[in-house]
Amino acid sequence: MDTPNETAQVRVEGVWKVFGRKPREAKEMAEAGSTREEIQTATGSVVAVRDVSFHVATGETFVVMGLSGSGKSTLIRCVSHLVAPTEGTVELCGTELTQADGAKLRELRRQKMAMVFQHFGLFPHRKVVDNVAYGLEVQGVDRHDRQDRARELLDTVGLEGWGDHYPQQLSGGMQQRVGLARALAVDPEVLFFDEPFSALDPLIRRDMQDELIDLQMKLQRTLVFITHDFAEALKLADRIAIMNDGAFVQVGTPVEILTSPADDYVRAFTQDAPVAKVLQACSLMKPLDGRAIDPEWHRVSSTTPLEVALPHLLGSINPVLVCDEHNTPVGLLHGDDVARVISENQQ
Amino acid sequence: MTSVTDARPTERVLRTASDSRVARFVLAVSTIVVLVLVFRLFTNFGVFPESWDIGLADPIDRARRWLINNQTSHWLYTVFLNPITDAIDWAIRRLESILRWFPWYSYPLFTGVGLWWTRGRVAGALGLASVTLIGVIDLWEESFATLALMGVSVLISMVIGIPLGIAAWRSDAVARVIRPSLDAMQTMPGFVYLIPFVLLFGVGRVPALISTVIFALAPVVRLTEVGLRTVPQVTVEASEMFGATERQTLRLVRLPQARPAIFAGMNQTTMLAMSMVVIAAFIGAGGLGQVVLRAMQSIEVGKASEAGIAIVIMAIVLDRFSTGIATADPGRDAATIRWLGVGVSALAVVGGLLGHNAFPESLNWQFAPYVDDATDWARDNLYDIGGSGIGTGPFSDFVTLEFVTPLRELLSADIPWPAMIGIGFVLGLWARGIRLAIGIGAALFAIGFLGMWALSMDTLAQTIVGVAITLAIGVPVGILTAHNDLLRTALKPVLDFFQTIPSFVLLVPVITLFHVGRIPGIIASVIYALPAAVHYTDLGLRRVPAEIHEAAESFGATRGQRLRRVEMPLAAPELMVAVNQVIMLILAMVVIAGLVGGGGLGLEAVRGLRRSDAVGRGFEAGIAIVLLASILDRLTRAIADRLRPPAAV
Repeated sequence: MDTPNETAQVRVEGVWKVFGRKPREAKEMAEAGSTREEIQTATGSVVAVRDVSFHVATGETFVVMGLSGSGKSTLIRCVSHLVAPTEGTVELCGTELTQADGAKLRELRRQKMAMVFQHFGLFPHRKVVDNVAYGLEVQGVDRHDRQDRARELLDTVGLEGWGDHYPQQLSGGMQQRVGLARALAVDPEVLFFDEPFSALDPLIRRDMQDELIDLQMKLQRTLVFITHDFAEALKLADRIAIMNDGAFVQVGTPVEILTSPADDYVRAFTQDAPVAKVLQACSLMKPLDGRAIDPEWHRVSSTTPLEVALPHLLGSINPVLVCDEHNTPVGLLHGDDVARVISENQQ
Repeated sequence: MTSVTDARPTERVLRTASDSRVARFVLAVSTIVVLVLVFRLFTNFGVFPESWDIGLADPIDRARRWLINNQTSHWLYTVFLNPITDAIDWAIRRLESILRWFPWYSYPLFTGVGLWWTRGRVAGALGLASVTLIGVIDLWEESFATLALMGVSVLISMVIGIPLGIAAWRSDAVARVIRPSLDAMQTMPGFVYLIPFVLLFGVGRVPALISTVIFALAPVVRLTEVGLRTVPQVTVEASEMFGATERQTLRLVRLPQARPAIFAGMNQTTMLAMSMVVIAAFIGAGGLGQVVLRAMQSIEVGKASEAGIAIVIMAIVLDRFSTGIATADPGRDAATIRWLGVGVSALAVVGGLLGHNAFPESLNWQFAPYVDDATDWARDNLYDIGGSGIGTGPFSDFVTLEFVTPLRELLSADIPWPAMIGIGFVLGLWARGIRLAIGIGAALFAIGFLGMWALSMDTLAQTIVGVAITLAIGVPVGILTAHNDLLRTALKPVLDFFQTIPSFVLLVPVITLFHVGRIPGIIASVIYALPAAVHYTDLGLRRVPAEIHEAAESFGATRGQRLRRVEMPLAAPELMVAVNQVIMLILAMVVIAGLVGGGGLGLEAVRGLRRSDAVGRGFEAGIAIVLLASILDRLTRAIADRLRPPAAV
């Protein structure tokens, strides 16, 4: 799939997870190409994850997208080792989790990783501030320090003044902010997100996505993000893995997925994707390669969606100039490329 | 595989399942009929032969004599039992003397403040008044004995029960051992627990306490386990992801979230302990139970009612307080209550130092004479109203002669004993399978070998009549409450009240109207079991999902059709749970009614507890009660499982 990466912070190699009594038979059937239903009927075991490998580089956002039952939730639990994989290895920040004993695993969890859960997983018997401080409490940080740190993070996620409420007194969006603050409180290098926004209303979800993007710009952590929402995957991901029936179908950047879907299964998703909204100028731009720049050309920022750039390309033979945040030109966006991507997507 | 070929085997499985159900039922019934006819017509078996009585009575009486003779010398006592006895006795005495040190007025005041805090002002005022009433009717001293025994029992139950619950949650192996033991412990009428402990420890508060702890232990263990199991998995995962150790997760995440369940368990344990402590008067536990017991034996209904009221007050106060404690929200009264609490505590200490502990005699006022007058009036006027043949007396006679006696004759004599065992076997086979069938057969044989056949059939007959009456009243009422929220709200306090009262006390009002005999026992048991029948019927019908109601209605079903065709079949498993609960409650009560002339196994057990020469027989009766209870319990639960719709294929 992707080449081994020296700076990879998460390395997953050949991970299998089989639930049930006969993991070996089930695995053999799966390798011979049997479907999940056939295996279940024959062995009573469920193959949730089949032979998944991937690497995530430091600071990268890796999104695993799949429908319910595709095994994505089990996969993230294997990677975070909440569930022991049946086979395969998981390496996190240079340590192999699959080899680590209980104490070593706890140590890694305290220092290196944190997780945000689908249904928030907040502790209903603890105040918001004590929820956020939980990771620090487990590490033995004294009460005063951990509360200070927790309140600081509540400010970061825009919940100042809510610390003394109980989680169930907050709205869903606010609860997930608490979940995010709780994960960030321990200053992890790797963050796991298990469908964190799927329980939220669409508008709240969009806000939370935007905020996560902003936060990630600042923090530059390594994120492994699970979702069933293809648009969410396109919006957040540096790279996307599409998962079906326990295996990865395709791994690639959003543009790769949109422009060259690997098979019909992936194409089914890309067809409905609002390409012009999702893809940004930077993802289709061509390098300048020393070409002369006409000051008359329209300028857009690199994060501008195609649909915003599109009117300036239509009815003009000139490309649009793509600039970075300092308004320095970094590339050119051509009308042909945009038209090609959009028309391919519609087929 | 396509979905079409998928559906076919499923359909076939379902059809054959329902076909074989009917077939098996018909087969079971016809086997029973054939069994009875064959034995009736071609053999002369009747009651289980007396010569087959293997007689546990003698060895047990001998053991009892040996135990009494060796109480001061044998190592079993000097090393093991006596230290336990001494420690428990010391704890009870200590608690009682502490309780007695405080001034009398601190109790109504603490009750008032406590109930205000957990349940609001009205409850507080009622609590204050009713606790004072216990002193007014001159039962203050006896209440302390009951309270101290209760306190120590509940404390020991918690200390054992919560760790056991945690152990059962943590280890499936432990749970596999503990769960059936708890089931068995809850199946047995509490009364039966007294017998073995009397044998070991003699009479007194120590065997009373031990049997109380065993009887009351189940809910706190079970609910601790349930509470821990129902902690949302995601919160546990969250805790794990932060690198919490098992112990940290238990202490910081699991136990706090299980707390409401553990509190509910503590409440149920307290209520069971209360009812057992009262019954334990049979073996000299003293306290309020003893007052009831003595008064009932000499048919002093007034005195028995007073003690009964004191017990009910104590039970209700403890219940309301312990159910409210987990959810207490005094709102804006919080500050006032806190100050009152501090004030009453200070007053309690000062009053204790001044020696205000005795309830002032000048406040005494007894209503026993009025109750006695009313009882006399009832006996003279209601027992046989105007010599018309209508009244409680003729009613008793009617039920006895028309139902109880013929049924007893039918079970013990008219159906030959091998046919009876055969019936049990066939029912077991039909309801679950060969293992249950063999178990029931063996249990019935054992009852016969213990020489308890006739007495067991007597008790069974009383139980069946009681169950029939309870269901005939309880199920229709449950159907009504399920469809009428207003009625449900109105009935709830009444049903709660009857469920809170310790079973034993229910006998008091019944004997004022019906005298002694089998009927007061059956009526008391009906009153005792009625709330369960109503509750589970209501629950079962209310569980039927709204869309199913709507679907039935959209096809134009009438209310009656909906009830018969849709709701009742769907609620059938819950109804069977109701039957199970009702049977167990009725059996427990019918046994206790041995005290008021109920006859059957209960009478034998009561005699065994009171007369040292009858312990052996009492023990046999106790085992027979346990066997009978287990048979009925397993059988009804197996039938309940059978009625559940097949699980998704």
